[in-house]
Amino acid sequence: MMPLNYAILKYFTKVEEACADDVINALKDTYGNFKALNKKDVITALMTAEANGLIEETRFELDNNNELKVYYHAHEEGAATINKYIKD
Amino acid sequence: MAAGSQKVSLQANIAYKKYRSNFLKKGIAIALFSGLTYGMYTALITMAMTKGVWADWYGDNKAKLSAFVIAYVIAALGNAINDTCSAVWAILYSIVKGKFGDFVRCVKSTPGRMILLAALLGGPIAGTAYVISLQMAGSIVVPISALCPAIAAILSRILFKQELNKRMMVGIAICVFASFLIGSTSISGSSASANTVVGIIIAVIAALGWGLEGCLAGYGSAMVDPQIGICIRQVTSGIANLFILVPFFSLLAGDIGLSVNLLTQAVTSGAAMPWFILSGLFTVITFTAWYAGNSMCGAGLGTACNGTYAFFGPLFCLLLLGIYGGMPGWSLPSVAWVGAVIMTFGIFVISMNPLDLLRKNKEKEEEVETYDAA
Repeated sequence: MMPLNYAILKYFTKVEEACADDVINALKDTYGNFKALNKKDVITALMTAEANGLIEETRFELDNNNELKVYYHAHEEGAATINKYIKD
Repeated sequence: MAAGSQKVSLQANIAYKKYRSNFLKKGIAIALFSGLTYGMYTALITMAMTKGVWADWYGDNKAKLSAFVIAYVIAALGNAINDTCSAVWAILYSIVKGKFGDFVRCVKSTPGRMILLAALLGGPIAGTAYVISLQMAGSIVVPISALCPAIAAILSRILFKQELNKRMMVGIAICVFASFLIGSTSISGSSASANTVVGIIIAVIAALGWGLEGCLAGYGSAMVDPQIGICIRQVTSGIANLFILVPFFSLLAGDIGLSVNLLTQAVTSGAAMPWFILSGLFTVITFTAWYAGNSMCGAGLGTACNGTYAFFGPLFCLLLLGIYGGMPGWSLPSVAWVGAVIMTFGIFVISMNPLDLLRKNKEKEEEVETYDAA
């Protein structure tokens, strides 16, 4: 089992794009009991990863509940850095 | 951003604008808070080292400790106790936040080990140099040690071939001028002493250590959660200080057993320990805020905001030790205050182009306008 932050970054090397809700859904089986696996903390983790150049924003939309969803993806260089430092 | 011609509603644009600006504002606030709390940590550790058994060691010296022991072993011990207290706070906080398991897992990973190496440079080496210099020359060393972003910029150029442009060189020149201004007030004054000059030189070692730490930890902390990163930093630093550095200095002083003897006296000093527990708490707060601020608003702006400790350090020393504690010698000459403000500005210039702040906001507005038009 890898640290939650690593798992979040690693997830982006395996999908085309994802938002915070997608990350939570994908990781809830393994990390469901982690306090930090909530929307607020995951959004902070995604925006931090973006500020560090590991992932980039692709689009945004409002869902049916009028909640903002921002999508990100790992570009080639970001994915290479993540895979270099975080092994499966 | 690959938005293409996607249509997004006005409502979505408003929500997106808020999402963006909230994050940047939060990052800047956290980074500024790190500068403020660094000033508090500086004042609290200095206060701790004036209480109980420390008052004798640095005052009457009834224990008959040698000048070497007082200058180096005692200062390293102060830093060791502070970092150990902060390590305990950091572990407790990680348990409360449910991140202790991840802390253990991160230590075994490459980014975790990079932070560990950075902690060895920043904790035992720079941290101890900072405390030694504070004891030798007083709060005048705070702005000098705050030169670390200037040193980090130069080291990054040499080690990692990173950019060192004209603006950064101008910023470094401003910092050097400011440090000269601050230094000159103590060196040329009537209170000039060899201790002050040596203290200022040792403060440069602290700046060098923290500059190197910034280079290394910046990379590692891009992937590690900031709270976990700080936990790794403080635990590494506490252990290395307590079990390597203090015994090493004691050995140099000719008696390795001295470290256990002095440590026992220090931790049983009821008047000093509450201040160390507080300074340890503020150490965790300031470094967590520094790492988190850097991650959230970029290392440039984050470091610039943190650099305000060049001003907050002497300010809180004056408030806590000078005014609250009634101790003389903590008010800096006005020239030194001017120097501290100039240095804060210089750090800002090195770390980022102030015009970029305006430019970034404009770019974001233009991006959203593009969405509107699509």
